[in-house]
Amino acid sequence: MGLLSREAWAQRLGAFRASPSAYMAAPEGEDLGRDLLSDLRSEKLSEQTKVSMLALSLEYPAQLWPDAPAAEAAATSLLDTLVLLPPRPSALRRPLLLAATTALVTGGVLGPTSGASLRLLPLLLGLASGGDLGRGFGPSSEQRPLQATACECLRELESCKPGLLGGSLGLLRGLLGQEGPVAPVQPLSLLLALALRNTLVIQARARASLQGLLTVRASPPGGGPWNWTLAQEGEAHLQPQAPSWPAAEEECGLSALEPSPEEARELRAAVAQLLDTSYLLTPVAQAQLLWLLGWALRGLRGQPPVLFKPQLVRLLGTAQLTLLHAVLALKAAFGEALFTAQDEALLLRRLTLAAQHPALPLPAHLFYLHCLLSFPENCPLGPVGEEAAPLLLEPQLCRGLLPNLLHDPMALLARLHLLCLLCAEDEQKEEKGQAQSPCHYLQELLAGLQQRAALTGGPRALATLCFQASYLVAHCLAGHHTVLAPLTHGLAQLYRARPALAPHFVDLLDRVAPELGEPLRVVLRQEVVSRPGGDEALRWHLQMLAKVADRDAQSATLGFLQAAAAHCTDWGLQQALLRVCRALLRAGGGGGLADLLQALARQLEDPDGRDHARLYYVLLSHLSGPKLGVALGPSLAAPALTSSLVAENQGFATALMVQEAPAPIRLSVGPRRAEGPVPVLQLQVEVLEPVYSLELRFRVEGQLYAPLGAVHVPCLCPGRPARPLLLPLQPRRPAPAQLDIRALYTKSTGLTCYTHLPPLPVKFADLFLPFPKAPEGARLGFFEELWDSCLPKGTESRLWCPLGPQGLEALVSRHLEPFVVVARPPTSYHIAIRLPPDSKLLLRLEAAQADGVPVVLRTDDWAVLPLVGDYLRGLSAAV
Amino acid sequence: MAQRAVWLISHEPGTPLGGTVRFSRRYPTVEKRAKVFNGTSYVPIPEDGPFLKSLLFELRLLDEDRDFMESRDSCSRINKTSVYGLKVGGEELWPVVAFLKNGIVYACVPLVEQTLSPRPALISISAISQGFELLFGIQDFLYSSQKIDTELNTKLSQLPDLLLQACPFGTLLDANLQNSLDSISFASVTHPQKQPAWKAGTYKGKPQVSISITEKVKSMQYDKQDIADTWQVVGTVTCKCDLEGIMPNVTISLSLPTNGSPLQDILVHPCVTSLDSAILTSSSIDAMDDSAFSGPYKFPFTPPLESFNLCYYTSQVPVPPILGFYQMKEEEVQLKITVNLKLHESVKNNFEFCEAHIPFYNRGPITHVEYKVSFGQLEVFREKSLLIWIIGQKFPKSMEISLSGTVTFGAKSHEKQPFDHICIGGTAYLKLHFRILDYTLTGCYADQHSVQVFASGKPKINTHRKLISSDYYIWNSKAPAPVTYGSLLLLDLSFLQTPLPQLKKKQLHFKGIPIQKLNRD
Repeated sequence: MGLLSREAWAQRLGAFRASPSAYMAAPEGEDLGRDLLSDLRSEKLSEQTKVSMLALSLEYPAQLWPDAPAAEAAATSLLDTLVLLPPRPSALRRPLLLAATTALVTGGVLGPTSGASLRLLPLLLGLASGGDLGRGFGPSSEQRPLQATACECLRELESCKPGLLGGSLGLLRGLLGQEGPVAPVQPLSLLLALALRNTLVIQARARASLQGLLTVRASPPGGGPWNWTLAQEGEAHLQPQAPSWPAAEEECGLSALEPSPEEARELRAAVAQLLDTSYLLTPVAQAQLLWLLGWALRGLRGQPPVLFKPQLVRLLGTAQLTLLHAVLALKAAFGEALFTAQDEALLLRRLTLAAQHPALPLPAHLFYLHCLLSFPENCPLGPVGEEAAPLLLEPQLCRGLLPNLLHDPMALLARLHLLCLLCAEDEQKEEKGQAQSPCHYLQELLAGLQQRAALTGGPRALATLCFQASYLVAHCLAGHHTVLAPLTHGLAQLYRARPALAPHFVDLLDRVAPELGEPLRVVLRQEVVSRPGGDEALRWHLQMLAKVADRDAQSATLGFLQAAAAHCTDWGLQQALLRVCRALLRAGGGGGLADLLQALARQLEDPDGRDHARLYYVLLSHLSGPKLGVALGPSLAAPALTSSLVAENQGFATALMVQEAPAPIRLSVGPRRAEGPVPVLQLQVEVLEPVYSLELRFRVEGQLYAPLGAVHVPCLCPGRPARPLLLPLQPRRPAPAQLDIRALYTKSTGLTCYTHLPPLPVKFADLFLPFPKAPEGARLGFFEELWDSCLPKGTESRLWCPLGPQGLEALVSRHLEPFVVVARPPTSYHIAIRLPPDSKLLLRLEAAQADGVPVVLRTDDWAVLPLVGDYLRGLSAAV
Repeated sequence: MAQRAVWLISHEPGTPLGGTVRFSRRYPTVEKRAKVFNGTSYVPIPEDGPFLKSLLFELRLLDEDRDFMESRDSCSRINKTSVYGLKVGGEELWPVVAFLKNGIVYACVPLVEQTLSPRPALISISAISQGFELLFGIQDFLYSSQKIDTELNTKLSQLPDLLLQACPFGTLLDANLQNSLDSISFASVTHPQKQPAWKAGTYKGKPQVSISITEKVKSMQYDKQDIADTWQVVGTVTCKCDLEGIMPNVTISLSLPTNGSPLQDILVHPCVTSLDSAILTSSSIDAMDDSAFSGPYKFPFTPPLESFNLCYYTSQVPVPPILGFYQMKEEEVQLKITVNLKLHESVKNNFEFCEAHIPFYNRGPITHVEYKVSFGQLEVFREKSLLIWIIGQKFPKSMEISLSGTVTFGAKSHEKQPFDHICIGGTAYLKLHFRILDYTLTGCYADQHSVQVFASGKPKINTHRKLISSDYYIWNSKAPAPVTYGSLLLLDLSFLQTPLPQLKKKQLHFKGIPIQKLNRD
């Protein structure tokens, strides 16, 4: 894009500011960064336009130059522009320095490999030290503001890369101490304080000494290369482990740093130098200096904080928020070492005073009140991090800090909190019944708030304030019956006066359930059910009742609902009515509810309402209490529509239907049992989540086995050992099969689920059963008899069964032990196997050789021959 | 200690957005640090549009408060400071310092140099007070002279340049923006001596020092047995020192006449170089006794160029300047009112103006008034349901004046008549507005001869004093009225059982006026 006019730029900048993301997404956004850099050198644009262009780059560098190379190029270009400025006064030098600094930091390119960094840093340090930068770098009239700006730029760089100026500490000290026409004190002081703090932290972390950093006056602008060592060590420092509150900074304490006596002296001198001239700084800068030096010296050995003492009286007298805050930071950092008990008391008094001084604005009051309740005490008693009234803050001191109805809502709540804390203490200390005790005052205040909230047509904010106050009181004074009882009573009266606040009551009940829930629920229920049903606030009553209705006093509730039903003429009211019924169902409704639901199912005008009533009736009469509770509980499915009906129906669907779910258990086939009249499969269970009333259903493809019975388990829990499940098989033919398994169970949430488990194989060998054991002497005869009986109906076959390294004996004991009739170890075994339903398999294993054994087998069932072959051949592999 | 961004938003009720962003400034280098410090809890600064919407909602400044909204109206959403968490794009931006003043919302986001979860206590975040100070500074700059809209626009247009001076990288250098404005023009001077950062240049011209003491008196009068009346004086001492030299030293002493009321709760300007401990500790929290420090109150300081508030104080004067009662009773369709006002004899009876405003809230327009005044005249503002009793420059010799009458109202129409959430039923007040020049209630004055100036040339010293009423309420004694805790405590009879020395203090507090007299029944 070519050179733009002033108007075009103004328009462009305006469009960008309106929505930077939209502008940059549009085609015209692409060239903005580049155009801006090139037009800064245009002679046709006024300085004012260029300043506004630079202002944009100060705010949105990441949008203009989104990556590191672009940022580096931009910084270089800005520096070039700066150097090329003619040597007359110009408003561009300051913003150019600021912009180059900003571009380097936000682009993340500040470092020893960045050319722009290596140009900018010496330039800034040179400007800051007031050195002669040669002709062309601005007229002398601009030197002072540029000096200040350079300090600010360096401070920002040091903030973002701690340790950057570690090597220049000596130089900065020298500049600050200079006599005669001097550099501006404030920017230099702040820069030095920050660099000092960062250096101390980095060196303490590296367990290194200060290495004379405070005294070396050599400076990089003298031509030497910039010292990046400390900055590189400091990389780790800009981590979120340096909390602003010094007291919380224990872990990165400076105690590791052990300065030599000389270093300690130099350090003290540097700090004293900074503090001595601090009155020349603006109040906000003084506060920054105190925070920084407080950080720097905390925990540092041999550095007593008395250096701060001369400043304190002056600071305590001011009304400046930042200064008092900085004093509190020093208090937190040094505690008793800087503030005696008397000092602490004085500080508290000043804080108390500031929190209510009529000359200060409300936001300051509120902040001081917060500080008061978070006051860093010398000897804190309560738990850390909780707001509490400090020990030395006597009730007498707080008198002016108590709330009244004329206060702004925020002030009222903040002061109410304090009042609650006082009441909690007061009740422990004093006997009750004092007319002017804080508790009594609190009650009056709450009554006033309730009266205001009751005002028909009053703004919602007033009602909200009343409920916020109630919440605060219920929370702070849980268990204080003397306060909570009148509060409950007052709230009931408020409801009577203004039922339209029902949503606030529902909200309050949700939030204060543990502290106030039950008594409030009871009085509100009484309040509602004592009304005639046809009230114009029926909508609110029903909303309220849906929240507070439960088992108790159900007849009164039902009476109210019956009376109300006649007035529920529109859909909304009918739904509200049904919501109450639903709440009663959940709470466990009795016969009266059934009658009401039946009546509603006939009586309601709206078919949808009638259907709902009927549904509730069916649920009530068919489901047990717990199941009903689950069915009517909050819907587990996220409602796709905000319609209550849809959400509700989804709730039912999940609760009453059997849902498919991921398997809660894992089944596997356990060791073979080989006993009893039928083969029994032993199933091992691994439990993944608790299941109740588990029913496992098994099915076998084809008609190989007789139908299998289901297995029932009442309860399974993860972590508890589960007994194996026994599944008797009734084969119709001796053949392996695949078990298809489904599980039906109840989850701990009460939902009924079903799941399809992975199929399990029933192997041929799983069907093997032994013959009854013959007496010792008759075994051979028994075997021979079986052997002979196979023919001629059956068949005989010979096989070669390969043996593994363990030999025949191991193979038999492992796989065929229960079926051995005659054994002549290690070479000869006679084996008889019953194959249900009514087949047999006989094996002679004789004359075993090293690598195998010849097997002669007989069976009365031709069909099993291939299975036997596979089985025997597989044995050696299975060993 | 830095700010991530700052906004000024004009609140425009009734418009679709509810407001307009008049000024915003982001600090990307601070944002870069926030990202590192806050870690996973980092929430970026939103663009102006979403920020505006979210902030106005949070501050309850959008018009749509008809229905209960949990995210705004839930009782557990309690803000006890002007620091908010804003819902922006599903995340919560915290801390946002914000307050509304004169139709403008001032907001900024201070940098928190640690993780935000769990949230650190506000007191531990150095940038919070810096943020407040920045916003107060902008507010002072915008409203320092006039409130004319065009001037506000001019000042708003100066803000970008000013913040470039006063807060170039998000770290505030000077909350006094006027000073930054001056420093732009003073920039070229070179200084042989160390120049304070809060003083942009030096004054050249005739030396003079102006000191003006303004006291505001507030009061709550109930005319009831069981509630004590309260009143308090708040003083502000403003100085303008036109003196040559970089660091001229000035000491101003405030003095009290022999029967004057001691100054308490003294807050000083940061330019005050040292403070007597008696000044630091004299506080309204303590019961007063004869040993209370009663001056002279010395304030040594090095003045800035501009006019500044040297100190603020409060004081408990023994009696309110005007004591009164107000009785209002509903009699069928009309209100019967009786007002009695008495100027205390010790008070200078020479007002710039003195008026009693008697508003009637939550009622219809005034349709008929019958009245009798012993002094002054009554103006009736029918539509506003307001009576103004113009008392004028002087009370009569008796020092006591009265008004009685009946007021009838028309039907209430919500748009026109004022609504008030305190004045319900019989609860009502009248408010006094008055001003007395060259007078302070405490008697406090700055003696020309007690002003010491260590600078070349003898300066001309001007002093001014005035007393203004502020929140001076007299409540209807025939109905309940809002009460402060202090009002209850002061008349708590349990103090009669306290040991004698303390009792003495309390009696002295009323300077011999029996309690019964304070409560005229």
